[in-house]
Amino acid sequence: MTTTFDASVRDFLAGRIWLRSHTPFPIGIIDEHIALEHIKTIQGIKTSKTYTNQPLHFCNRCENDTQARFTTFDCAKCEGPCTYCRHCLKMGRVSTCTELIIWNAEPPTYPTAHIIAWQGTLTPRQQQAADELTHSNIKCIPHLIHAVCGSGKTEILFEPIHKLLTEGKRVCIAAPRVDVILELEPRLRAAFPQTVIEALYGGSKSTTESSPQLILATTHQLYRFRHAFDAIFVDEADAFPYTAEETLRRAVQKAAKPGAPIHFVTATPSDKLLAAIKRTGQVSTIDRRYHGHPLPVPRYETLWNYSKHIQKGKLPKKLANWTAERLKRQEPFLIFFHHIGLMEQAEPLFQQLDARIHAVHAAHPDRKEHVQALRGKEVPGLLTTTILERGITIPNVQVAVVGAEQLLFNKGALIQIGGRVGRSAQHPSGDYVLFHHGITYSMDEAKNEIIQLNKGSVRI
Amino acid sequence: MNSCLLCETPIAQKSSWKTLLALEKQTEICQDCSKNFKRADIKEVDTMLDQITSLYTYNEAMREYLHQYKFLQDVALASVFANELHTLLKGNATIIPIPMHPEKRIERTFSHVEELLKSACIPFADILEKIGTEAMGEKSRAERLAMESLFKMKPGTAIQPGTYILVDDIYTTGTTLRHAATALKQAGATHVEAVTLIRAE
Repeated sequence: MTTTFDASVRDFLAGRIWLRSHTPFPIGIIDEHIALEHIKTIQGIKTSKTYTNQPLHFCNRCENDTQARFTTFDCAKCEGPCTYCRHCLKMGRVSTCTELIIWNAEPPTYPTAHIIAWQGTLTPRQQQAADELTHSNIKCIPHLIHAVCGSGKTEILFEPIHKLLTEGKRVCIAAPRVDVILELEPRLRAAFPQTVIEALYGGSKSTTESSPQLILATTHQLYRFRHAFDAIFVDEADAFPYTAEETLRRAVQKAAKPGAPIHFVTATPSDKLLAAIKRTGQVSTIDRRYHGHPLPVPRYETLWNYSKHIQKGKLPKKLANWTAERLKRQEPFLIFFHHIGLMEQAEPLFQQLDARIHAVHAAHPDRKEHVQALRGKEVPGLLTTTILERGITIPNVQVAVVGAEQLLFNKGALIQIGGRVGRSAQHPSGDYVLFHHGITYSMDEAKNEIIQLNKGSVRI
Repeated sequence: MNSCLLCETPIAQKSSWKTLLALEKQTEICQDCSKNFKRADIKEVDTMLDQITSLYTYNEAMREYLHQYKFLQDVALASVFANELHTLLKGNATIIPIPMHPEKRIERTFSHVEELLKSACIPFADILEKIGTEAMGEKSRAERLAMESLFKMKPGTAIQPGTYILVDDIYTTGTTLRHAATALKQAGATHVEAVTLIRAE
């Protein structure tokens, strides 16, 4: 290895795995670095054969190995059969004849001077969790922060992250949902004003100015990282699609340096995650909200044949009364539905009670505006799918679930939804009602877990 | 169980004698996605062309489809309209895909019109050649209409009697199709038609 390299190329490429033809640098500069072996190239798709001589493809970027997600075609560039990965297509196509590049020379060094500008104080339980997390970082073992909704999870991370940054280490906070990243970004920028922070999500602008030391990213974006971080914090680790997609879990693994710890933060860890962490790492549990009040316990209300009623154009009486009561008391509310179609059929029925009530779902164009309007009290309440089950805080919000018996509302979802209620110290409680067409085990499990958490005795 | 090429939701296939005997290709996209494409079925006549048939209107779903197919280079999407194109193009006419410039073709790694025909199981004759490298989409309407010739016959090819059908992905001003038809008619073709997947305004 010889002579000089361009520091801006290093800062951009360190820890990333990128398409050779899609860097922000002129192609000539990249070629020069490759010739000098400062950059290494990797074939995009690796193909091996099974014992029956069937081809077995593997994407070197997103580590997808589901064969149905690959397509082979007759390529005009490499003049032969060429395979590309459809799984990470939206990040620029990776095929047999495209090359991926990784940084091969000395890694950049990161500054060690960082200030923490957060002024708040942690509760004794939070402080203990933060200390335990720092301890796990020193031992390089995974750590799970299992903290109830509204217990101040993000604040717990500040101190351990600050410690890592002052050691010149590179840190990533990843979350499956872009809403979580968007909410975290301003809070972390305020907490670490001198640190170079970059937020990455679908549609974010990429910069090449300087090497970001703290990265906030959706788990999807980690497809494009490789051996980059000294510690990764996965926030809301149980949210869709992280649990459903194997490649996202692999992406987080790949983005961490070999041996670097991967920590998880969630209110509702799956049994699988709990078991895995207990085997190899540490768990900190916080069963009290920061204001010290108990979690709202859900109450059950029957709402027989609600979908038939709504399809016929009638709002079930109990639901109408509940909504009218909220309107009368001027309390903001969220009503969760399991199905977009049913929710949209119900929307005009609710609008007869108050014309400002709207429905939101993941693909809704005005989703952010409507949620903002609810915060600003311009809208009395929203109908929503599970998209708003986590990460949002609205003071004094009252919550109802319509069709709580649906499979979609599992234990974790019901606990998360209940976690929206009573988050602020001024309004530490509120109504959490499950309208159902029969009680499921999930409903009982969620209710029991909330009661257990309030008693201060969780199974760990 | 295969899943929709566009939205990845699993498609429930109903088995029938036709699909079992491979008389009908299995659908590649789900009901919800196919509802988003709007059939136009426009037939038009032009100065140089005896008939132009367009299958779909250029709406938001179609714009996204073309973007993923041509610019994100998702070759698999060629089969989305295979059944429709097959029904329209089967017969005795000679099918001529609008050619791409060889350099452009290498850059994209595939010819989008040829791939559409391949997955529709329509044999085609590659007798035209593109002269310039510039893309139609980068030109204004006036510029397009003022261009001289865009295509020429490949050396060593000859016109047979019978109908010729030109195939392209999108029909906007018709300049491309007119130029291709001119090249064919100058070489002796008597009846030239065109089929495009999309009709844009």
